[in-house]
Amino acid sequence: MVKNFKQFLGVEWIEGTGDFIKIDEIKCIGCANCVKVCLADCFEIVEKKAKVKNLDKCMECASCWYVCQEEAIIFTWPSGGTGYRCDWG
Amino acid sequence: MDEEFDVIVVGAGFGGPIAAKICAETGLKTLLLERSENVGDKVISGLTIPFYGFLFGPDFIRDGNPPFERPSDGIINYIIKDIEKGDIDIDDSLRVPKPFSPIIAFGYNTYCKPFCEWEVKKAVDAGVILKKSTTVIDVIREDGVIKGIITDKGEQIHSKIVVDAEGSKGLLAIKAGIRKKYSPQTISLADIYDYTIPKEKIDEIFGYSVKMCWGWDEQKIAPPLGHGNGLMVWPYRNSLHFMQDQCLRLNGDQIPNLTKLFKIYHHNITDKLPWWKDLVEPNVELRARMWAGFEIYVGLDKNLRAMSNHAAGMLLIGDAAGLESTELCDGVPAAWFSAEIAANVAIEAINANDFSKQFLSKYDRLIKAHPIIQWSISGRNRFDLRIAQKEHNLKNLKKYIHNGWGLGALSHFMSSFFQIFLSYANDDPLVIIKWIKMFFRYYQNWLYESYDYSKKPITKLNSKKLEKMEYRFQYLLRLMDTLFHSLHKKRKGISLILIPLSNSVNKFMRGVLPIFEPIYSLILRLLQPILNKMGNKVIKFVRFANPIIFKTRPEGKI
Repeated sequence: MVKNFKQFLGVEWIEGTGDFIKIDEIKCIGCANCVKVCLADCFEIVEKKAKVKNLDKCMECASCWYVCQEEAIIFTWPSGGTGYRCDWG
Repeated sequence: MDEEFDVIVVGAGFGGPIAAKICAETGLKTLLLERSENVGDKVISGLTIPFYGFLFGPDFIRDGNPPFERPSDGIINYIIKDIEKGDIDIDDSLRVPKPFSPIIAFGYNTYCKPFCEWEVKKAVDAGVILKKSTTVIDVIREDGVIKGIITDKGEQIHSKIVVDAEGSKGLLAIKAGIRKKYSPQTISLADIYDYTIPKEKIDEIFGYSVKMCWGWDEQKIAPPLGHGNGLMVWPYRNSLHFMQDQCLRLNGDQIPNLTKLFKIYHHNITDKLPWWKDLVEPNVELRARMWAGFEIYVGLDKNLRAMSNHAAGMLLIGDAAGLESTELCDGVPAAWFSAEIAANVAIEAINANDFSKQFLSKYDRLIKAHPIIQWSISGRNRFDLRIAQKEHNLKNLKKYIHNGWGLGALSHFMSSFFQIFLSYANDDPLVIIKWIKMFFRYYQNWLYESYDYSKKPITKLNSKKLEKMEYRFQYLLRLMDTLFHSLHKKRKGISLILIPLSNSVNKFMRGVLPIFEPIYSLILRLLQPILNKMGNKVIKFVRFANPIIFKTRPEGKI
C-alpha cells in the first residue's frame, strides 16, 4: 500500500516500514526537542514523555535522533523497499 | 544469498556506484545494495555539482553523458537588510564571463534520482550485481575483522571488503564501531520545495544563475541558518528547486522550533521577496515538498574531522565518512573522489590479501592528502558568516558572502584547485583537452537533452561555414595539446616554479583581488556588447556542430 498526503506533494510512503523509530520511556525527559524539529509531526508529549504518534509521513531525516540529548530515541532504517519515495529530490 | 563477494558496497547514491563500478571493472565480484525500491527514491538534495567534481572525479563521468538539469554560470546573492522596505544589496561578482558562459560552467544543477540511476546503470554494465529493497542493519565481525553485512531479512552476506556508502546518518559506521553519532550542531535540516515553471520563464528570470538570499534572523526571510547558510534557488530545465535550511543547534543555543520557523520563512519569501513575488510566483506550481538532514558541519570540528574512515575490512566514503562540504553544503565531489580512492585501496587490499586496519589506513592517508576534500570539509567561511549575521555586522556579512559565493572565493579555493590541477596535468597532459571537450559536450547534450540511456538526436547542420569552424576548433585543440605535451616534457623545471606558487596562490589572490576586481568588472562592462556577440556565436556553433568533435572516447563515435 502506498500513502500520499496533501501537504507533502510529490512524495509517496510505502507501508511496511516496521517501528523504525522508538522511544526509551525511561530515558526520555519530555524536553520536546523531537517535537520541535519533526516536520512530519511524528511525535507528541503525553504525561511529560515523548511518544511516537505515527511514522506515516516520516522522511527518515533523523533530526529527532540527533536532537535527543538523553539518547532516548532509537533510530534505525525502515525495512527494505518501504518508507518515503520521491522523484524530485 | 549464500554467495561470497569480493566487495559489498552499501548504498546506491552518488558515491556507491562509482566504487562498485571500479571494483567490478577489475574483475572483482561486487555487490551493490540499496535500501529503496528504486535507485534514487530516497536521495534528496538541492544540487549544483561543482565543476571540480567533474574535472577531478571519475573519468567515465567526465568523458560520458550524464543527465543534468541546467548548467550554472554564476551566483546572485541578495543581501536582505530590510525586506519590508525592500532594502536589498546584490553581490553577483561570481560569474563565468561571456563568451565562455554558459558553456564553461561552474557547476551543473541536477536532480539526484536520474543522476544516481545513470551511475548505477554504468556500474551494472560493468558487472556489478545490484540488489534493491535491502536494508543493511549490521556488519559481520569475525576476529575483529568486518567480513560482510547482515540485512533486515536476516541474510548474512560475506565479503572481503565492505564499502559503506550509506550517506548521512551513518548508522552502519556506528554499528561497526568506526564513528560516533554526531552532535546537533553539525547537522542542517533542509526544507525543500520543487516547483514546475515554463522553461522560457526560467531563461528570462534566472538564465543560468543560482540565486541565494541572506539576511538578519529577524527578517525571517533567510532562516537563521546555522553557521551561515542561506536560502538557495536553483534553476533547472523546467523547474525550480528551492531550499531553506537550518542548523539543528547553534553552539549552546536552544533547539529551534523548525516546524513553526520553516512555515514562516517560506511564507515571507514567497510573499515579500520582490523577485519571487512578482516574477516567480505567478508562473510556478508546487510539485513536491520534501526535507532531508545533512551533516554539513562535521568538518568544522577538528576531533570529528580526525575520526577514522576505516576499520579492518571496511571503508567509509562520501557522506558516510562525514565528507560533506562545510563551504558549499555539497557532498557529491567528495563522494566521487573518496569512492575512487576507496575502490583503488580495496583492489590493492584484495590483491595483497590483507584487510587489516593497518593496510586500509592507506585510505585515510589518501583522503587527508586530497587538496579539494580537505579544503571543502574544513573551510570556516560559512561559520564566520553566521557570526556576522548574529552580530548584525553588515561589512563582515558582505565580506564572507563575497568570499564564499562571490569573486572572493578565488582567494581561498585556488591553492587546492591549482594543486590538484597540476597533479592531473602532470600524470597526463591530454586531460586538459578532455576537460575542454567535456564542457562543450555537456552543453550540447543539455541543449538537446541527449544523455546516455535517454538519447535524443542532436541536430547537425551541413554548411561550409560550420565545417570551417569545426576545423578551427579541432585545430585549436591540437595546438593546445602540442603545447601541453611540450610543457610536460619540461615539467621538472616548471614544477620548481609552479609547486611553490600553487601553495601561495590564495595569499597572492588575497593581495591582488582588491585591485584586480574593479578593473575586471569595468573591462567586462565596457566590452559587454562585443563579448555577448562572441558568446552568441559560440553557442550557435555548439548548437549545430557535429557532436563527434566533443567526444573523448572511441565508443562515442556516431
